[in-house]
Amino acid sequence: MQLFSSLVIPICLLAAQILASDYHEQLVLKPLPQSALLASFNFRSNTSLAQFENHNFRYFPRSLGQILQYAGTRELHLRFSLGRWDAASWGARPWDGTKEGGTGVELWAWLEAETDEEADHKWLTLTNALSGLFCASLNFIDGTRTIRPVMSFRPEGDHLNITMANMHLLHGVLPREVVCTENLTPFLKLLPCKGKAGISSLLDGHKLFDASWQSMAIDIRPVCPAGEECILEIQQTIDMVLDIERSKRPRGNPIPRPVPGHELKCNSSKPYHDEHTCYPIGFVAGQEWSLQQIFGKSMHGTCPLTDPNIAPVCIQAPHSRDVFTSAGVKELKDPNFPQRCYIIPENEDFQIVLPSMQHVGENAKSDTDEYLEPDTPLLYAERSFTGHGQERGGVQTILTNPSPDQEVEFVYMESLPWFMRIYLHTLQARVLSGESGHLRKDEDVVEEIYYRPFLDRQRGTQLELRMRIPPQSTVFLTYDFEKTILRYTEYPPDANRGFDVAAAVITILHADQTKSTRAFSNLRTSGLLLNLPTPDFSMPYNVIIFTSTAIALAFGGLYNILVRRFVGQDEGPEVTLMVLRRKIVAVLSKVAGKLKRANRKEKAEGKTE
Amino acid sequence: MKLSNILQLPVLLASTLLAPAPLVSAEHTSNWAVLVGTSRFWFNYRHLANVLSMYRTVKRLGIPDSQIILMLPDDMACNPRNAFPGTVYSNADRAVDLYGDNIEVDYRGYEVTVENFIRLLTDRVGEEMPRSKRLLTDDRSNIFVYMTGHGGNEFLKFQDAEEIGAFDLADAFEQMWEKRRYHEILFMIDTCQANTMYSKLYSPNIIATGSSELDQSSYSHHADNDVGVAVIDRYTYYNLEFLETEVRDLSSKKTVGDLFDSYNYEKIHSHAGVRYDLFRGGAETARGRLLTDFFGNIQNVEVDGAKNTTVDEEMLALSKTIAQLREIADEEEAAARNASKPQSAETKQQRKVQSTKPLNNDNWWTKKLVGATALAGCSALWALGSYLETPKKTSPS
Repeated sequence: MQLFSSLVIPICLLAAQILASDYHEQLVLKPLPQSALLASFNFRSNTSLAQFENHNFRYFPRSLGQILQYAGTRELHLRFSLGRWDAASWGARPWDGTKEGGTGVELWAWLEAETDEEADHKWLTLTNALSGLFCASLNFIDGTRTIRPVMSFRPEGDHLNITMANMHLLHGVLPREVVCTENLTPFLKLLPCKGKAGISSLLDGHKLFDASWQSMAIDIRPVCPAGEECILEIQQTIDMVLDIERSKRPRGNPIPRPVPGHELKCNSSKPYHDEHTCYPIGFVAGQEWSLQQIFGKSMHGTCPLTDPNIAPVCIQAPHSRDVFTSAGVKELKDPNFPQRCYIIPENEDFQIVLPSMQHVGENAKSDTDEYLEPDTPLLYAERSFTGHGQERGGVQTILTNPSPDQEVEFVYMESLPWFMRIYLHTLQARVLSGESGHLRKDEDVVEEIYYRPFLDRQRGTQLELRMRIPPQSTVFLTYDFEKTILRYTEYPPDANRGFDVAAAVITILHADQTKSTRAFSNLRTSGLLLNLPTPDFSMPYNVIIFTSTAIALAFGGLYNILVRRFVGQDEGPEVTLMVLRRKIVAVLSKVAGKLKRANRKEKAEGKTE
Repeated sequence: MKLSNILQLPVLLASTLLAPAPLVSAEHTSNWAVLVGTSRFWFNYRHLANVLSMYRTVKRLGIPDSQIILMLPDDMACNPRNAFPGTVYSNADRAVDLYGDNIEVDYRGYEVTVENFIRLLTDRVGEEMPRSKRLLTDDRSNIFVYMTGHGGNEFLKFQDAEEIGAFDLADAFEQMWEKRRYHEILFMIDTCQANTMYSKLYSPNIIATGSSELDQSSYSHHADNDVGVAVIDRYTYYNLEFLETEVRDLSSKKTVGDLFDSYNYEKIHSHAGVRYDLFRGGAETARGRLLTDFFGNIQNVEVDGAKNTTVDEEMLALSKTIAQLREIADEEEAAARNASKPQSAETKQQRKVQSTKPLNNDNWWTKKLVGATALAGCSALWALGSYLETPKKTSPS
């Protein structure tokens, strides 16, 4: 919350100027615990709505403007995200989570259309056009991935009541989509300075996609200040959490090698510490870093189109922390808030160095001097699969309200793929109260449910729950589902990897500001990887080979039987061995006969003699 | 719809009228490149590096991103296994980062399929397809087609899930020729038994080359131990070596023949093949083509020569006919629109996307009542049925 306000307040103070000027950009650096650094880039350009409709785009990117006009889009939100925000150590999210998306690509837009069919058609046009512009497979957002949320999203811009009646909200998400340099390239090309000057020149795919967490966002909305002309505003933000140690590695040799013994920093307070045993301090010790080391290049001047009244670079660190900048840079210290901003002269190199902090010895500094204590988020959420086997599974979401005295109300939204057949009757919310320490089934936690069941191969499940969690309690939200067996051709080439399930979107409703449309804060769980029963893809070939073998064997035998002529032993031609035997027998019997005859002759002769 | 058909007519007619012209002047006016990797998974890093190094080469020689169709089936640069995030290298010296800061991938991931590839070549795509993902060539476009992946005798696998056959490819090229979608094509393929892939081509003006003969494997060149896998294939490596050293800029006069002559078995470890017979003018003309005709972006400007009055008159007559046809089409369309207007108003109300409904217990008693009535009705029916059945059974006995 604090971070959000810290980012917003200076902007609000200068609101009049912002609206007057057409473009401004700002980078806010915030050191986080565990040697991490949050860098928030914000670029905002405006054009008046009347000029926009006359195709006079000025700082508004033309390529995107034409798509919006063609697809009848009134408001657009596009997110490219990677990694996971570690709420336990980094605290609340930047921008209150409103500028982040689930892992992969997320898109939602308000389209002006008279019928649902027309809205669907415009949505198809929009996703395809954006896929061409941003080099992402956004055209895969089809009917099965599109939902129409009821409670989770509200228009952020000012819309006329007449147009509101015809506006359709469509939401699609691609959790599997890779975010890489080819997405950053078109993102930078939308900026007036094209990433060539100002803070956008610091953006480098090599560092951005090496971050622990990053989110690129594009928000387009109409803003109508009271009594003034309506403007169309595009805000492009990039938030990333860099691991300082990791991003300081040279680009040519990023693979960490073991540190030589003499360079190891040891924790001498450990009892076993001596010459041969060492407990490395690692990232506990604050590291020195500079803008150039972190981003791989230094910043040269400012974008000449930006509003000169807004400091392009700010750093949020305790005032007790030393920050050195290059000469000629004007520092603006905020007395009420630990933030320092820097006005950079045109065409001069800008450098910022934060020296390492001494944690031991004289002038030892504590963590509170090094970075701001992270704010506690309003809600912690984590989601995981339960169960085992290829047939059924379950999902468990653990939602924790850390606040000691305030209850939190929010909308929990899931957009599930159709092949995850959920059983809504198994939906259960159990509350673990901090005081009582025991689980109880509580019907009151879930206040409202909006549900649209899946249809095979046509649409996915949409589930929206409005929930209220009492202070210091944890809610376990569980439901079961059945896994579908897909058709052979429906499996992707890497089916054994699993199927990604989009992150659940949590929209926290602030009790005191229910009327205001912009008082939301968001939170997204991590995505899930669903293992579906996957066939052996060589199976058809095995079957072909096996059946061919079986047929060959059967056919061979049958053919043999059919074709062969059966004859009696005596009818057929004689076999050679039998002939030989018979000949031998015949010869033998002949010899025997001769001998007999000779004997008889002799006897007869003897009788006659 | 009808109008657009008729609008295409002048183009068709003009192309038929001017058909002999391109054959006489062998000039092209635009250069396109279609670079296709077909392998998924990390261990096929080298195939993506092959494609990306070709991408760098054609970009270096001036073909803009809008005229390069790049198909990458997997993400190597931001792959969690990649120790060098955001980079792809094709050499162990890691001198050139192929991914760089400025790259536009047109088809990626699951989009790289045989269907999409053939649709791209033949331009049979839906109307929602953005221009950046289409091959908007004409009969004066030279196209460089490069493919790499795992293949076999007359097939090339796509993402280990499906394959394109040599006949499919030949038919796609033939359709391109019939639709006047190219002037000349240089087809290059690096896969096992690559030469079989172009053996079935039958369309004119194609120069084809492949890395290996039937029953020959195509080998990788070397591995990078830090990346952990082989980074480039031999055939592509030596092609690149030639292009890097001999074709430094657009003024290079090296010909296709020079490139093909540089192939030898000692370097590539397989017999690279070349096919000229489809080319008008045969081997001589084909070998004489400059490499920059395919890898570079030379934009020849056509200047109208001597005035040909008969052609002008014909064109004038033709444009008059076209104007008339257009008027007729406009009228027809207007009539059709008028006729269909009341209908569309009716159909508007018909289809409505079923919206998400709240689950609540508002009409609990009504719901219970409906359920009880339904159950009671069913049981009454059953009772009636059994009552009517019993007398029949008992009467005979």
